[in-house]
Amino acid sequence: MRNDSDIAVISTAYLPSVRRNDITETEMLIAVIDEALGKVGLKRSDIGFSCQGSCDYVSGGTFSFVPNLDAMGAWPPIHESHVEMDGAWALYEAWVRMQHGDVEIAVAVGSGKSSTGDPAEIYINELDPYYLAPLGPDPVSLAALQARQLIESGKTTERELAEIASRSRRDAANNPKQQLRSLETDVEKLLAEPYHRTPLRKSDLPPISDGASCVVMATAKKARELVARPAWIAGIDHRSEVHNPALRDLTDSASTRLAAERAGGVAGVEVAELMAPFTSQEVVLRQALGLGDDVVVNPSGGALTGNPLMSTGLVRIAEAAEQILSGGRNRTLAHATSGPLLQQNLVCILEGDN
Amino acid sequence: MSTQTSSTIQFPYKRTLGPVISRFFSELTAQRIVGIRSGDRVIVPPMEYDPETGNQLAEDFVEVGPAGTVVSWTWVAEPGKHHPLDRPFAYALIKLDGADTNLLHALDAGSEDAVSTGMRVVPRWRDEPVGRIDDIVAFVPGETPEGPAAGEAQDVQTMDYFSTITYTDVLSPTLERYAASMRAGVIKGQRCPQCNRVFLGRGYCSVDAIILGEEHEEALPDFGVVSNYTIVTPTPYPGQKETEPFARASVVLDGDEMVIAQQQIIGIPVSEIRVGMRVKAQWFPAAERDAAEITSKGWGTVAGFIEGWVHTGEPDEPAEQYMNRVF
Repeated sequence: MRNDSDIAVISTAYLPSVRRNDITETEMLIAVIDEALGKVGLKRSDIGFSCQGSCDYVSGGTFSFVPNLDAMGAWPPIHESHVEMDGAWALYEAWVRMQHGDVEIAVAVGSGKSSTGDPAEIYINELDPYYLAPLGPDPVSLAALQARQLIESGKTTERELAEIASRSRRDAANNPKQQLRSLETDVEKLLAEPYHRTPLRKSDLPPISDGASCVVMATAKKARELVARPAWIAGIDHRSEVHNPALRDLTDSASTRLAAERAGGVAGVEVAELMAPFTSQEVVLRQALGLGDDVVVNPSGGALTGNPLMSTGLVRIAEAAEQILSGGRNRTLAHATSGPLLQQNLVCILEGDN
Repeated sequence: MSTQTSSTIQFPYKRTLGPVISRFFSELTAQRIVGIRSGDRVIVPPMEYDPETGNQLAEDFVEVGPAGTVVSWTWVAEPGKHHPLDRPFAYALIKLDGADTNLLHALDAGSEDAVSTGMRVVPRWRDEPVGRIDDIVAFVPGETPEGPAAGEAQDVQTMDYFSTITYTDVLSPTLERYAASMRAGVIKGQRCPQCNRVFLGRGYCSVDAIILGEEHEEALPDFGVVSNYTIVTPTPYPGQKETEPFARASVVLDGDEMVIAQQQIIGIPVSEIRVGMRVKAQWFPAAERDAAEITSKGWGTVAGFIEGWVHTGEPDEPAEQYMNRVF
């Protein structure tokens, strides 16, 4: 049974992930908010609270969330907030805000246009400025250090990584919103491709993407009024570890495991949408969460085939929610990550009414 | 044809280091590497707190290395401009002798074949240390450090770090039309069908969150009234080009509530600028008009097309009409 105070995802939308979207970030957000609200017949004036996730370094402008906020409209006056994080954390803040009990409808959005900059150049500014940034490590190099430790510790093989790439690409072929939809899927051929950063090949890496996403939440009464099968947020939690990856065990993700426990655990989870922009990180997350072989992982194609920074994590929640809203599943898991090599991890457990 | 605009953002940071990083960097200038004790573990690079418990650590330093063992590595075959070496190299996680954690650094080994997990490495020291992590230029294979003879330790309290990011923006279809109009010397706005307000170079209504298209566009007058202004006495900081007091004014275009903010008033001393003054645009010569200031990342701007605004000589509007406004 659900309580009146329970909160559900009732609608989701995200733009196709593309290498470059010609419209502005604000225009992208207007489109995706229109779509998500339109699905459930809501107007902007119905929204009690909204929260955006975006990043000035990615957008290339100070206070870039201010023009983005135009996508929510300015009249009647609005209640809003912003996180300099992936939209998944915007959803977390909106969910926390709804705990006060005075907001029936809340909206979370995430947006980013990586196309305007060089991700390797921008990424350095995310790192510890004393010990890491002066050495200029790019995200792929760091992921490769993690992947080698996984392989040499016996936790995965290059073949398993190629199989993950193959499965993600085959799933992406069925999802018109993913960016990489017609690339090689034969595992032997992938293993024959050259290394990009040993032991990672290009097939182990995500594309550079532009994109935006929107998730609409409602309290129980409204949710039941508006949709046949709300995706109830059974639990949501996020945990962080030390920033410097060199000080962590990169073959495990204790923060993911703890967040999942606090969000209600993985028992009964049928589908997991994991934010794993590198094949090797899917291995870390699956093992840390203890997901069995019966759990369907990233049927959307995942971050590996579409990676709009600041939106990728919220897309995972949107996809896990759609598995319940329109897919008939009963219990799904969404994961989002932030910081170098899975520093911070959010887990959201969603449930349908049986 | 699409217009590309490029912008570079620079962050000239000078950071204070705090007691622990300061000690670590000071020791580097004398070619020593220190870790910090946390219980029976030694953490390198040293932190002010234990990475697992978050407990603050006593400043109990212990010398480690300088040799160590490669724990993980990857080969960078084609270094980019932000990489620490300009020839192929490895990034490596290195466990220094006496340390219980790893250090990320570059490994200059010549070729990928020369790198393996478990190999022994030592620092190559910078010729003239300044107290930064890259006082170790890179690690190199072997047991004997490379570099000049060690000098006295310096007292390192701050660290300069210069960050720069270049963005290349392709103008959206709306901004492309806006730029073309401005090049032709016409300010073109978009009128919202719902609230009737006009917006410059934006593509949507900021009040109603409605997408606005070509059908909503109309030419606007390039004259109006100063509705507000401020006089700024510049203080020097990176990027500030002004040296004398200067004004930034808001101009309300005739006929609408369209305000163009942050404008220069040209041709009169800043002390004579006043609210209610009638002004008109002074356009740059057609050949000099430049869309470089237009980006997809903000609101419409006239910068690069209109140099500033000059007094028309007409009588002022009553200043009272422009009170109780933000801009």
